[in-house]
Amino acid sequence: MSISRSALAALMLAGTVAGAAAQDLKIGVASEATSVDPHFHNVGQNNALRRHIFQSLVGADENQKPVPQLATSWRTLDDTTWEFKLRPGVKFSNGKDFTVRDFVYSVCRIPLVENSPSNFTIATKGIESISSPDATTLIIKTATPYPLLPIEMSVFGIISADAFGADAEVKFAKTGCTGVGTPPKSSDFNDPAKSIGTGPYKLKEYTRGTQLVVERNDAYWGPKPHWKTVTFRPITSAGPRVAALLAGDVDMIENPPIQDFDKIKGAGFDIIQGLSNRIIYVHLDQFTGPDWKTPGVKGTDKNPFLDKRVREAFSKAINRDAIVERIMGGVAVPAGQLLPVPLFGSSPDLKHDKFDPEGAKKLLTEAGYPNGFELVLGSPNDRYINDEKVAQAVAQMLTRIGIKTSVDSMTASTFFSRRNKYEFSAYLAGWGADTGEMSNSLAALVTTQNYAPGFGNTNRGRYSNKKVDELTAKALQTIDDKAREALLREASKEAMADYGIIPLHFEVSPWAYKKGISYTPRVDQYTLAYEVTAK
Amino acid sequence: MTALPEPAIRTPAAVDKGESLLRRRFSEFFESTGAAFGLALLILLLGAAIFAPWIAPQNPYDLAQLDIMDGRLAPGAKGLDGRTFHLGTDEQGRDMLSAILYGLRISLFVGVVSTVAACSIGAAVGVLAAYKGGRVENLVMRAVDLQLSFPAILIALVLLAVFGRGIDKVIIALVVVQWAYYARTVRGSALVERGRDYIEAARCLALPKSRIVFRHLLPNCLPPLIVVATVQVAHAIALEATLSFLGVGVPVTEPSLGMLIKNGYDYLMSGKYWISTYPGIALVIAIVAINIVGDRLRDVLNPRLSK
Repeated sequence: MSISRSALAALMLAGTVAGAAAQDLKIGVASEATSVDPHFHNVGQNNALRRHIFQSLVGADENQKPVPQLATSWRTLDDTTWEFKLRPGVKFSNGKDFTVRDFVYSVCRIPLVENSPSNFTIATKGIESISSPDATTLIIKTATPYPLLPIEMSVFGIISADAFGADAEVKFAKTGCTGVGTPPKSSDFNDPAKSIGTGPYKLKEYTRGTQLVVERNDAYWGPKPHWKTVTFRPITSAGPRVAALLAGDVDMIENPPIQDFDKIKGAGFDIIQGLSNRIIYVHLDQFTGPDWKTPGVKGTDKNPFLDKRVREAFSKAINRDAIVERIMGGVAVPAGQLLPVPLFGSSPDLKHDKFDPEGAKKLLTEAGYPNGFELVLGSPNDRYINDEKVAQAVAQMLTRIGIKTSVDSMTASTFFSRRNKYEFSAYLAGWGADTGEMSNSLAALVTTQNYAPGFGNTNRGRYSNKKVDELTAKALQTIDDKAREALLREASKEAMADYGIIPLHFEVSPWAYKKGISYTPRVDQYTLAYEVTAK
Repeated sequence: MTALPEPAIRTPAAVDKGESLLRRRFSEFFESTGAAFGLALLILLLGAAIFAPWIAPQNPYDLAQLDIMDGRLAPGAKGLDGRTFHLGTDEQGRDMLSAILYGLRISLFVGVVSTVAACSIGAAVGVLAAYKGGRVENLVMRAVDLQLSFPAILIALVLLAVFGRGIDKVIIALVVVQWAYYARTVRGSALVERGRDYIEAARCLALPKSRIVFRHLLPNCLPPLIVVATVQVAHAIALEATLSFLGVGVPVTEPSLGMLIKNGYDYLMSGKYWISTYPGIALVIAIVAINIVGDRLRDVLNPRLSK
């Protein structure tokens, strides 16, 4: 009796589990979105969540190439005028049509978000004026030639003007929009009735710190996603995240730690890895200001890094393959430039420097440092994958060619504030190119500080090369994709040949999931449930 | 007057049976085989730590001697240059045996130096408080209370976050969190001793105050202090290991036992047990040996338990 009962219960349980499993997907995410509001915080986890509910004019594929989304096509009418054709028949999840008015409303609302830690004006700053000759055409004018406009249209999500009671006519003006009404507060979006977008999913339930559930939007214009409901559970510590996957509490997790790969595979789960747009690099102090003493450098009274031969020796001393294999467990790709192939502006023929300690020693001797010198390498210890261990390996390799290196590692917040005060003559850090274009990496890392607005912001080695500056600036004004890519490649090759910065490796982002589903890795590291397919 | 010989006032510790007292305590100590074993172990570890540069197969702090291609080798595996790593290597290619020997060196050094420093400061402050009494005593003891009301690890973490990394900084942090224990202990016994006749006699002879405090009062407060200090060495070592494990403390290129354990912790779940386990065993043995010796010392030096 009792046996048949429990058998029946087991059968029923198996039935419900199988039924649910076919429709439901549970994902253990590494960090929780700080808000459902798509305009609140420009940060990875929020942007990934946003894509389920709110779409943008332009989409980005797994290699961050712009692809049609709410706009079916776009072209330039002249150097400063862009025409976007809107997708007809798109409806919001509240049944209202998607129109130009919603786009304008979204652009107008972005600067009005209260307490935003980092807002999306960075993506709308190029817009000078918006007009619309007919219902499916959108004309955007920029002040100067602005090749990144389509990419930037993929950065922010479009919200429904009707959901928040905007006027019948919303007008964009650089100085201030009219007709916006009372813009929504970020917390309003926690209410499923107000979180209205055109995406494949709509918000069902949101409990901060516990879970966020989305369900299929039946009014969605595109192909129906496989999963009826998707649950995102934030599990910030790696250990418990892996444990949740192994125990079957979730079906898929982000960022399983490298050292647990064997265990996860052994337990019958799949791991997929994809290149990210994040480069791990070492920047060297190349400041030429008078009376500048390179901090941490001993054994010489000059700044050794002003000599290109020393920088080249630095790069040749590093065995990138060994770092990738031994420290990163094979889960990284050695880098010879700032963005991995096939991203826009990367050069397929730029290979990473071969490990050549003898050549490096020779270069040091030629440069006048036969006995090397002492160096302190700064590094964060909790920001990038195995950052402190990579720094130690670099120190080990440099010490072998005579640059006696010690590692000063610390928690990320301390590290970045000290780095920004130029307290390290050499530091290890990383950079993710969020536009997926070389222009972003070059402008941030190797162009001269203050050469132009937005240039050299993260160039804390204070490297300066006129040719790189000019080429990058020119590329950012060139609309034609082919010509722009050629310019970016030239600039990138110039910076690499000059050893202005020492690239180490590209991080690889892994996902682990149960058998029977699959996912295509994305360069932007987003986990998008509607791209998770069942085999 | 000036010719008055100082040892004329014999203190109780010395009055008893002169030099033979020490010998008696010594033989009492060895009545426990456990304690004898603990002491032997401790001497062995101290020897290993002191002579580490001569007995370790590798200098794990010299980056030029490491090769990451030797990283994470299992115990007994051969490295690129043909040498055998008996306890395996960590992910930087450090020989675990050498790293443990050097790590013990750091741990014991930090433990002993911070204890001696904290003990000296604490004892001086404590005995002064007891002798002076009144306002000074109040002030000092409230400071001690305040200090002891915070968890030691919390204060040490804050201090190291401010100072940065380095063995010297770890020692300073440990002294800051530990002096209060000694101050309280010494004050307790000094209060008792202060009322004794020999102190009265010393006062009558108009000896300088500093002389009374440090030559008469302090030596008689030593037995409890020795016991506390032995146990606190073990505490200091554990605290240093904890701080290193948490990523503050010693520099990453010169790992102590705590940092070695932390380095291996990442690999513990994937079968590479040796990076954490062996330093962990070394740490446990060191702490247990010190505690056994400390416990026995307490028994031997406690007048109530003496035969």
